[in-house]
Amino acid sequence: MKVSHRFEQTSCRLRLDGLPDLSAGQAENVIGILSGWQLALAGHTELEGKREHLLALLDVVLPYARHLLSGVPRRFGADAGPVQIEPVRESGAGRCHRLRLFSSQPDTPPLELSLDDAELSDLVRCLDQLRLDPRVQLGFKLPAERPLPKREILERIPLRQRLFSPLAAATALAVTASISLMVPLPRRPTAPSPSPAAVPTVPLSPAEPNP
Amino acid sequence: MAQDRLTKPDRHSGISRRGLERLDLMLLTVEALDLNGGEAMLSMAGQLGFNDLFPNRVELWKRRCYNPLRLACRRGELSEPETDALISLLCALADRLYPMLRQLLSSAEPAQVTAERWGLFQKRLDELIRERLNPRRGGVQKLLDPKEGPALRLQLIHGLAFGAGRGGFDRLKASLMDASA
Repeated sequence: MKVSHRFEQTSCRLRLDGLPDLSAGQAENVIGILSGWQLALAGHTELEGKREHLLALLDVVLPYARHLLSGVPRRFGADAGPVQIEPVRESGAGRCHRLRLFSSQPDTPPLELSLDDAELSDLVRCLDQLRLDPRVQLGFKLPAERPLPKREILERIPLRQRLFSPLAAATALAVTASISLMVPLPRRPTAPSPSPAAVPTVPLSPAEPNP
Repeated sequence: MAQDRLTKPDRHSGISRRGLERLDLMLLTVEALDLNGGEAMLSMAGQLGFNDLFPNRVELWKRRCYNPLRLACRRGELSEPETDALISLLCALADRLYPMLRQLLSSAEPAQVTAERWGLFQKRLDELIRERLNPRRGGVQKLLDPKEGPALRLQLIHGLAFGAGRGGFDRLKASLMDASA
């Protein structure tokens, strides 16, 4: 008994086909075993894949959106992985996002999709619907959303701006130190020269005792 | 999911002043996009079951005044149920305004129409900023700056678009808890 669920946004339609895992006691309208999925993005080729490809898509696109939300977009997806996404700045226009999908078939070039912010947010909303839908129980273990550490946040500040403060502080310290070195040191007050060693004078003749 | 968290005992949210600033700025962005945003916020708070936390407009305003950029700024921190309620409210409002957010972000729309939409949004947001935020603060001056302002406004719209809906709650909350640079 095949079950299909569709998740739609303006430019994105995701369809899942599968079966309920009756051995796990799933209801009839639940997809517990995925037989296939299709992702249609307006103006792009329809994508198809298996369970591992869908998991790879979720693993790459959702963290990318998370970083975009914090203003530090960066590439996601391993070199050998089936899905990669990275920000691309187009000349004259705003940012767009390049989604690369690598086929498991040999000698097949990767499929590259260029998405604008609206298309990416449609895709993210579709994937959100999928992961939160109680009718889809595929057992995907997605990492929890976590605050970004300072190291990653600093990346959004240009290097020049980041280095300005410490460099200005170091320069100010060096200038102050040089100026202070040029100031002549006050002369120490000369210590009084020690008087020649007092030689005990030996009386030439014994003093006469007083009467 | 968000509702479950709201039942947790009262404790600090872990959201920094910078995070509270962004949260309030995104609510201000909602008001700039929706002329009836203030009323919509209150009505949405009622629909989400936050009547105890935000029974009226003043209580909602008092929570928003923890934004350090506000003219009438309050010191201290919000508790976790309060910030979670504000974030849930923001996600629900962003979900309702998503078609408008999408139009602003889409490159498929004619460039002139998009520019007019951004212009209108900027005008309304600038008016709200001048009315409610402290113009002596650097953050406010950056928002109003013709060079730095557009990138900050785009960041606010990104925040709403990628944080919209039920699925955006965790993402948005985590981003508000980012370490401050």
